[in-house]
Amino acid sequence: MTRWTRRWLRRRPHDPERNAAEYVSGELSKRATRWFETHLLHCEDCWREVLLGRLGRRVAEEAREQAPAGLRDRVRAAVQFTSEGGPAGPPLGS
Amino acid sequence: MASDQDEFLRATMGATDLVFNLSRRMTDSRQDAEDLVQETFLRAFRAWMDLRRPKRVEPWLATICLNLARSRFRTRARRPSEVPLEEWMVEPRPTADPESRAIEGIRREELYRAMHELPEEQRVAITLVDLSGLSTFEAADAMGTPRGTVLSRLHRGRRALARLLGDRIEEDIR
Repeated sequence: MTRWTRRWLRRRPHDPERNAAEYVSGELSKRATRWFETHLLHCEDCWREVLLGRLGRRVAEEAREQAPAGLRDRVRAAVQFTSEGGPAGPPLGS
Repeated sequence: MASDQDEFLRATMGATDLVFNLSRRMTDSRQDAEDLVQETFLRAFRAWMDLRRPKRVEPWLATICLNLARSRFRTRARRPSEVPLEEWMVEPRPTADPESRAIEGIRREELYRAMHELPEEQRVAITLVDLSGLSTFEAADAMGTPRGTVLSRLHRGRRALARLLGDRIEEDIR
């Protein structure tokens, strides 16, 4: 075990949820990613959480929607209306 | 020279999808979501005119949207079970054949139901990070919670979605 790994583990006790969340979000440093990927080979808990996290993220991404084109126009008009001294933009729901 | 209004629109309109996705997960109908988007941009514009301008507009708009949703829209939110499901469904892609559209429709119906059944904080964390591409640091700022809490909510939300919908997705892939 390297000095870096010992320091990392001291700072971060074993926490499969947090590790998986950071790993799946791509927010571990390169070095931490290398360490974690080695760790995954023999840690069943972290491996399971990573699989679930990846699948959940993929499922969530399916829900992404594009704003309707008309909504952009409505926002532009509301901002323009407000900047020209209107009260607070066109009425909601218009 | 560009006016403040032009500058504001140029800086923020690229984040419309982000605000819309967040609004959809904070309200129970498409109409409420669109109203919330408009409110968010107007509130942001007023702040912009007061020279409160952020380094990055995405987390800033997300924060405004969340605050507005919590203070104004929550009071008139209906219970999820009362929301007609068709309001949560996206129009099918025109290029897909009828069979694919049917499969996609069912998946989306399940997906929206599943997303809506998540505790609000998990739903928000997932929307900010997985749907909108914010980092967990930015999501923590927007949600006003420590990053560790966001990581935990994010992972629990993902896990719940995976368990609810994993089997169905795997079937579709096969």
